[in-house]
Amino acid sequence: MKNLWKVILLVSVMTILALFALGLENDPRNIPSPLVGRPASPFSVPALDDGPPVTLESYRGRWLLVNFWGSWCISCRSEHRYLMKLARMTADRRDFAMIGVDFKDTRDGGKEFLASLGDPGYRQAFDPDQKIAIDWGVYGAPETYLVDPEGIIRHKQVGPLYEGWFEKIALPIMEKKP
Amino acid sequence: MWIELAHFATIIALLLALLQIATPIIGVGIQRPVWIRVARQSSYVVTLLLTLASAGLVVSFLNHDFSVKYVAEHASRSLPTFYLVTALWGGHEGSLLFWAWLLSLFTTIAVWRHWSTHASSIPWILSVLGTVISGFLILVLFLSSPFERLTNPPFDGRDLNPLLQDPGMVFHPPFLYIGYVGFAIPFAFAIAALINGRITDEWILATRRWTLFSWAMLTTGIIFGAYWAYYELGWGGYWAWDPVENASFMPWLVATAFFHSVMVQERRRMFKIWNLFLIITTFALSLLGTFLVRSGVLSSVHAFASDPGRGVYILIFMAIILLFSFGLLVLRADRLRTEVQLESLFSLEAAFLFNNLFFIIAGLTVLLGTLYPLAVETLSSAKVTVGAPYYNKVFVPIMLGVLILMGLGPLLTWRGINGSRLRSSLVKPLGISVLGMAGCYLLGVGQPYAILMVGLSLFAIAAHLTDLGRGITRRMTNAKEGILTATVTLLTRNKRRYGGFVVHFGILMMAAGFVGSGLFQEEKNLIMAPGDFTAIDHWRLTFEKIVTVKGSNWEAQEAIIRVEGPRGLTMTLHPQKRDYQNQQMPTTEAAIFSGFFEDLYVVLGDAVTDNTWAFRIYRNPLVSWIWGGSGVMALGVFFSLLQGRRREVSRQ
Repeated sequence: MKNLWKVILLVSVMTILALFALGLENDPRNIPSPLVGRPASPFSVPALDDGPPVTLESYRGRWLLVNFWGSWCISCRSEHRYLMKLARMTADRRDFAMIGVDFKDTRDGGKEFLASLGDPGYRQAFDPDQKIAIDWGVYGAPETYLVDPEGIIRHKQVGPLYEGWFEKIALPIMEKKP
Repeated sequence: MWIELAHFATIIALLLALLQIATPIIGVGIQRPVWIRVARQSSYVVTLLLTLASAGLVVSFLNHDFSVKYVAEHASRSLPTFYLVTALWGGHEGSLLFWAWLLSLFTTIAVWRHWSTHASSIPWILSVLGTVISGFLILVLFLSSPFERLTNPPFDGRDLNPLLQDPGMVFHPPFLYIGYVGFAIPFAFAIAALINGRITDEWILATRRWTLFSWAMLTTGIIFGAYWAYYELGWGGYWAWDPVENASFMPWLVATAFFHSVMVQERRRMFKIWNLFLIITTFALSLLGTFLVRSGVLSSVHAFASDPGRGVYILIFMAIILLFSFGLLVLRADRLRTEVQLESLFSLEAAFLFNNLFFIIAGLTVLLGTLYPLAVETLSSAKVTVGAPYYNKVFVPIMLGVLILMGLGPLLTWRGINGSRLRSSLVKPLGISVLGMAGCYLLGVGQPYAILMVGLSLFAIAAHLTDLGRGITRRMTNAKEGILTATVTLLTRNKRRYGGFVVHFGILMMAAGFVGSGLFQEEKNLIMAPGDFTAIDHWRLTFEKIVTVKGSNWEAQEAIIRVEGPRGLTMTLHPQKRDYQNQQMPTTEAAIFSGFFEDLYVVLGDAVTDNTWAFRIYRNPLVSWIWGGSGVMALGVFFSLLQGRRREVSRQ
């Protein structure tokens, strides 16, 4: 009994360490969004490149990845390379499309961003007053939503997408629901 | 250019820090002091190199070098110069470098000061501190580098988070870090004592000032954080029991227990293992704080950048340090058993024992509250938060207990006091306390806790003053001195003791602030159009108009509010909602009138219609006593630090 405190001390230290080790699996970015599982708020807004308006409705029937970005956002720069790759990689998929939403930005700033870092080729909506961003509950950039063929938001990614994100996060969600 | 220099300096610093771990061990092993001297020189050079590295990063900020990722993310062309410099610790990567730099600086000071007085401990101190520095430098260099360049540098940076562009926030992190890092020195002394196996009280005497200094810095850092939250976040409060706040509060609680119980070891040779446990735990909790904040296991309002790889590394680093130090303590504990027993329940020893008990229970409470959400999320993937009601339930009784002990402390003596003497010295303080409580009740204070707090505070103050008065009269009769000379000599001869008294007064002031603002806050939410008026208690507020104002990197909407207060006091308050150019997040700048007895706190909300605006108005009693009390406390510590060592430590 005299040495009980030693056992208690070491066991508690190890329990706390073990708890942290397990806790590292938790993703703090994985903040449950109240909008996941709800229909995405529809929009039809001018495109960044002066083309025809970008309309959410027109993507019905396909899985849609919506990426919110701005030329003022440093993390969007580091994410951009993956978006380019993902667009190339999924170009053949008929069930999947991507769009970007350049928000709280100037038209020149957004165009300049794509000109210098490369244009991934998908449509870009232009949302200078953050109308879409507010409706969709965006609170930072970059943020990315995965919308199912019925127009329901299925996933929200806060922060930049990373190498392997599509296979690890998006595909399992897309395959779960036919 | 500068950033490469800084990067290179940090790499060399890491190599030298590794040398600083290894050479003293070899030196002791083969009995060649020259090896230990190598480690000493390395520690000096590490400090120089890390100073250079930090300077390099600061210069990159001043040069607006946005090709450096860290600079691009934490500054902009329009950011004022002051914040360009302090952006060094404005983000995750830079603050780690800053941590390492502080630690190297403290190591140098410790080694320089204690080199000849503590020769047998120095090798282990160098090794232990070298390990901690290396741990942080590896993190800086390989997992969160502030030296990274961007391939496509933006024209302008993203700017410093607007919430951090505030003087309170400029001083909050460095003070906190100085506190955390400062505890590394007593920790290293304790480990050295454990390794040497000759555990005298030397380590405690040597580190008394380090502990006090670090404790004062930590307290000030926490208070700066609270001050910042109060002035900048605009929710009317200053403490939210957020995990990151708790992370700084836990080491504070244990450190407070530590430097009380240290006195028992100095005087009575008791609590030896306990003191080692406390200082190791204090430092472990400082590391834990870093882990919680930097690894992202807990979600918190302090949403720092997180990265799983980083988390794994910090966890391994922490596991090594914790298991090594607690393991060492367990192994050596049997050599430390003391024969001295508690002689009386009415003795200073016993009071300190209860003091420690209270502080440790408080610490455990915070630890459990902080870890519980993590445990729930890990085991069931649900998100829960533990809030103020839980903490208040535990903290209120504990703090009342601590206050009773604070009052009893000056009345008790070592080894016990006889009953009649205790009774006679209790009479005056108890009388004053009861009178105070009755007065409060008659003045219409209905809250039982508030009345109890007033009573206990008066009791503590009266007890301290009684003790002081007794000391003065004793000097006047024994040394035949006048009252003034007697007071001055008494105070200057016992700086440590009376510095402690001043700290206690500071704590009492802060406690008054906590109770006043916690129990008596008034809040009002309303929508007003220009010309509308409202009242909260004896304040009458008229909303005159909304204007637009501009700063160097922000634009704000500002409400002009005319206030008429008691005794004909009139003023204009200017609460703002600010938009910073390069950030999406609008910030609220609360307008605060700070009075001696209460604060009036006005927050401008969103526009409801074209012509009406939402407002939140608070009346916060006694908040300024918290800030004032922390100043008094710091003065007390400073006074206490002036006292030299009680006796010269014998050369080993």
